[in-house]
Amino acid sequence: MNRYLPLVLIALGILAFATLMLVIAPGVQIAQHAVPKGLNPYSEQESRGREQYVSLGCVYCHSQQPRSPDQAPDVERGWGRPSVAGDYVFDQPHQLGTMRTGPDLLNVGVRLPSESWHLTHLYQPRAIFGWSIMPAYPYLFEEKAEAGPEDTVVVLPKGFGPESGVVVARQAALDLTAYLLALDRTYPVPEDALRDDGYADRESGS
Amino acid sequence: MPITMGLLLALSFVVSLLALAFLIWAIATRQFALDRAHAATVFGKGGADGPDTDGTHLFDTTGIDKVSARPVRLLILGAIFWLVLGSVFGVIASLKLHWPDWLNMAAPLTFGRMRALHLNLVAYGWLSQIGIACMFWILPRIFRTPLRAPHLPVIGFWLWNIAVTLGALAFARGWTDGEEWLEFPWQLDMLLVLAGVFFVVPLVKTARAREVDHIYVTGWYYLAAMVWFPALFFIANLPGIHYGVEEATVNWWFAHNVLGLWLTPLGVGAAYYFIPKIIGKPIYSYSLSLIGFWGLALFYSQVGIHHLIGGPVPTWVVTLSVVHSVMMFIPVIAVAINQHVTVARNLWAFKESLPLRFISFGAVMYTLASFQGSIEALRSVNSITHFTHYTVGHAHLGAYAFVSIVMFGAAYHIMPRMMGREFAHPGLIRLHFWLVVLGFAIYFFALTIGGTLQGLAMLDATRSFAESVILTKPYLEARSVGGTMMTLGHILFAINILGILRKPRAVAQSAVAAE
Amino acid sequence: MTRINKQKPGKIVKPGEDFEPWESHNPVPLPVIWIAVALGIWGTALLLQEQDSKVVAQAEREAGEAAAHDAAEGGAALFLANCSTCHQPNGAGVRLAVPPLQDSEFAKAGPGVVAQILLRGIDGPIRVKGFTYDGHMPSFAEALDDAEVAQLASYVGARFGGGETVLAPAEVAQLRMTHSGSGSWQGGAELASLVADLPPQPPMPATAEAGLDPAISDLIFAGKGDVWSCASCHGGLGQGAENTPRLAGLSQGYITKQLHDFRQGERHNEHMSFVAKGLDDAEIDGLAAYYAGLRVDSTAQPALGGDLARGEQIALQGDWGLGVPACFSCHGPSGFGVGAEFPALAAQQPAYVASQLAAWAGGHRNNSPLGLMDRISEALPEADRRAVSDYLASLPAVPAPEPQAMARIEGGEDEL
Repeated sequence: MNRYLPLVLIALGILAFATLMLVIAPGVQIAQHAVPKGLNPYSEQESRGREQYVSLGCVYCHSQQPRSPDQAPDVERGWGRPSVAGDYVFDQPHQLGTMRTGPDLLNVGVRLPSESWHLTHLYQPRAIFGWSIMPAYPYLFEEKAEAGPEDTVVVLPKGFGPESGVVVARQAALDLTAYLLALDRTYPVPEDALRDDGYADRESGS
Repeated sequence: MPITMGLLLALSFVVSLLALAFLIWAIATRQFALDRAHAATVFGKGGADGPDTDGTHLFDTTGIDKVSARPVRLLILGAIFWLVLGSVFGVIASLKLHWPDWLNMAAPLTFGRMRALHLNLVAYGWLSQIGIACMFWILPRIFRTPLRAPHLPVIGFWLWNIAVTLGALAFARGWTDGEEWLEFPWQLDMLLVLAGVFFVVPLVKTARAREVDHIYVTGWYYLAAMVWFPALFFIANLPGIHYGVEEATVNWWFAHNVLGLWLTPLGVGAAYYFIPKIIGKPIYSYSLSLIGFWGLALFYSQVGIHHLIGGPVPTWVVTLSVVHSVMMFIPVIAVAINQHVTVARNLWAFKESLPLRFISFGAVMYTLASFQGSIEALRSVNSITHFTHYTVGHAHLGAYAFVSIVMFGAAYHIMPRMMGREFAHPGLIRLHFWLVVLGFAIYFFALTIGGTLQGLAMLDATRSFAESVILTKPYLEARSVGGTMMTLGHILFAINILGILRKPRAVAQSAVAAE
Repeated sequence: MTRINKQKPGKIVKPGEDFEPWESHNPVPLPVIWIAVALGIWGTALLLQEQDSKVVAQAEREAGEAAAHDAAEGGAALFLANCSTCHQPNGAGVRLAVPPLQDSEFAKAGPGVVAQILLRGIDGPIRVKGFTYDGHMPSFAEALDDAEVAQLASYVGARFGGGETVLAPAEVAQLRMTHSGSGSWQGGAELASLVADLPPQPPMPATAEAGLDPAISDLIFAGKGDVWSCASCHGGLGQGAENTPRLAGLSQGYITKQLHDFRQGERHNEHMSFVAKGLDDAEIDGLAAYYAGLRVDSTAQPALGGDLARGEQIALQGDWGLGVPACFSCHGPSGFGVGAEFPALAAQQPAYVASQLAAWAGGHRNNSPLGLMDRISEALPEADRRAVSDYLASLPAVPAPEPQAMARIEGGEDEL
């Protein structure tokens, strides 16, 4: 090969083709599907909580994409039905994730709907799960001698809280929890749902 | 819908296959005959029939290196700075996975931010800069002409490093675009793109002014990467147009192409240059070079969606990426034969030359990482390894054991030539080599074994999720040990490079040293 | 300057700095081409195969959707689908647990009465053919439309009551309007207003909620210092979701035993150990009594992709090939639950049931009497665990009987 321009043009052409296949074609296909019935946009508080989720980098340990029972036992762990493309229309940036150092969170609001549980867990995961390797987020909370009337006090077992006084949630913790509680994709799957069906059991299929 | 999409998929694969078949046919029927003649006459004057056996000079004889030296030196220094800093963040992140309550008093210290810092500093601060440094060193040499517009890359260097510094501050403050490999806020992306222009323009000008007709294989990789990466980076970072699952496909199309069409060409290109350069023998086969390069372009560009296997994206895109991932065997085997045969026939050089030791080790790791990647993309294997630490091990096999280690060797080769003196303490280079190789071995095997066990535990509903966490802990600790050794190696690397920069001491007499 | 080539004499020639790399002309080794061809063939085969997967999965999704719309037709089919699990396919009921339909006073009263019972359900003691039952029949007002209620009621009236009246959907619509918002029939006592010459019906017992201690109520809805509220996870109605279990209608004895087991580490769950350690015995008893008396419609739905027919087979007949007895042989007809040892299963959240079966199979839960569930769960393959969980989730919620009713069922064994 001895010509600069053909080399660069063909190289770019191949990339353009890959872009067509991996970006444009699926993009067009996904865009044709309506918002599923049962999925609501995030509220203002939930959106703020989502920003916390993104900014603290939760996605590096938690996926948001339950797999199909043909592939993995996610449904049995209570992580919810296999997700489909429509479940994410309000997500920007997407937080699908590639790690399960911690469990999948797409339906955590259904399986753990307790605000108070999440506050305890965010303040100190090891107060609940001794084996957990999740970071604690003490800076989302503050210690007070006494809770004010507006304060949300964190439930803590002995030995995990301050010597005296109480731990109350800052707004950031409440927002993040509101987002986690909003994670619910348990509404019925739309009929024209899109997902990777490469694991469907061809033997037992109807 | 399924039928049309199936057709699209089949079409795409057929296009790739036909292109490859055409290439093989063209090679078999000597359509490239003219080129082959050129390939052999790459030297302006030296003649193509073999290495120049009486040349014993260590230094630049043509004046080419003198022009490239300033940008190359700056880029290497910048790269090393980010390498050390990025590795420290990597070790901190690694330690946090088994000491979760350590160093946790403020948000910038949390795992999620440390990890983003590590990834971006080593990817953009270290790998990209050191790779670009190699481009500035190698391209003028294979084009036999001095670098054009050599002041531009200096401006590019400052812009690039300002962008990376601001990026680091942004991640620490939690300002991120929120997608893996695309964390840089888009405003800073634009700064990186601008810096890129200052790198690309001089290189293209140099390419067009070249004194040789044939472009050596390293040049193909570099010239293509120079257009691929800006295109990728720009499309993926367009703010506001990507959302939901579509954004996820863009994310992984980009992220894997950063590896495949940017870092891989940087590493493979450098290995293609330095291996024959150090050994003094030609690369095994021009035909294989062609298959390796065009195969990479055709297949690697479409593998990205294997990061979403079993996910909420159309089946056909996933299958497309799985098939192309496996097809990567073809170009990888071609490159492997080309590079490893050349080394295997000249094992003496492997013993004699410390830079070659790094580069050749890295080239072997490229082969292994690619084979591993192809196998990992198979659905059955992916069910186990996806979502586990196994993937992290694989990523480091590619980005670290391959690209970084090739780059260490490249820096050790370039610096003496640039500075006109040898390394004073080759023992430290040897120590660097063994630290990073052993450290990496611990790192890689810990994550591979731990990740596999973790994946098997998660696939078994009768084992609790807790089990999959608890069983990985010893492996995560081992990873920290390996990572710390690698980081110590990087500090030695910095000491070696700074040492040769600083010291105009009398010429050492026993300086077989680096070469 | 340095001596690069202070080399060993002879063979090895070190390159000069002028050497620049080039490529020699060896041909492509044949194996490379073979590998390329083989991979091309493999890729094509894979594409064809996965096209099938897509079609299969799409068909399954559509089938699932259709099942949700319940396309059953005809009174007989409706009866089999909705009634036969409890009342048995022959309408004989289950002795001392589910009233018979065959020749019962209510079937004989004609399809109008049957339709009204279907629309409202029953929640209270009822006497049928000389035996008293603790009547808990769910309402089918939501599940069946007017035409279906009409068909089903006419079928039941004709088959078990021997009448010939056929109810029209319009009449059902009328009844639906009359009864909308009325809640369940309060046992036979209230039904007596509907059917002339019924034998004497037992009186309604006092409702459980009346006596709810404010301290217990606080625990349930607000929590206390080191305990989250029950309702915050299990829902305001104790209905559960995913792998958080439904508590409403589990027997008092069962809930008490589990809470004690969590507290003592006999049953393992980090959340519940945390909670149970913060509760004293009186609180545990109060909570258990509250949830045992709570009657809430099912919120569970099959969600695990299990095969419902297979699930039904396991629940009703077991699988003796695997050594698995029918679930209902211990847990009571239709999965009501029996005593402190055998909790209600009907309408339980499927992910919870599946996760518990998996936990038994994996040895993470082992507080079942005589290790019964350990052995059963180990024998069930993964697909069967999902199938039976999904099937149980498809059943209507049947709250557990009151403690005194339970005693009567247990005592009743002697009469047989």
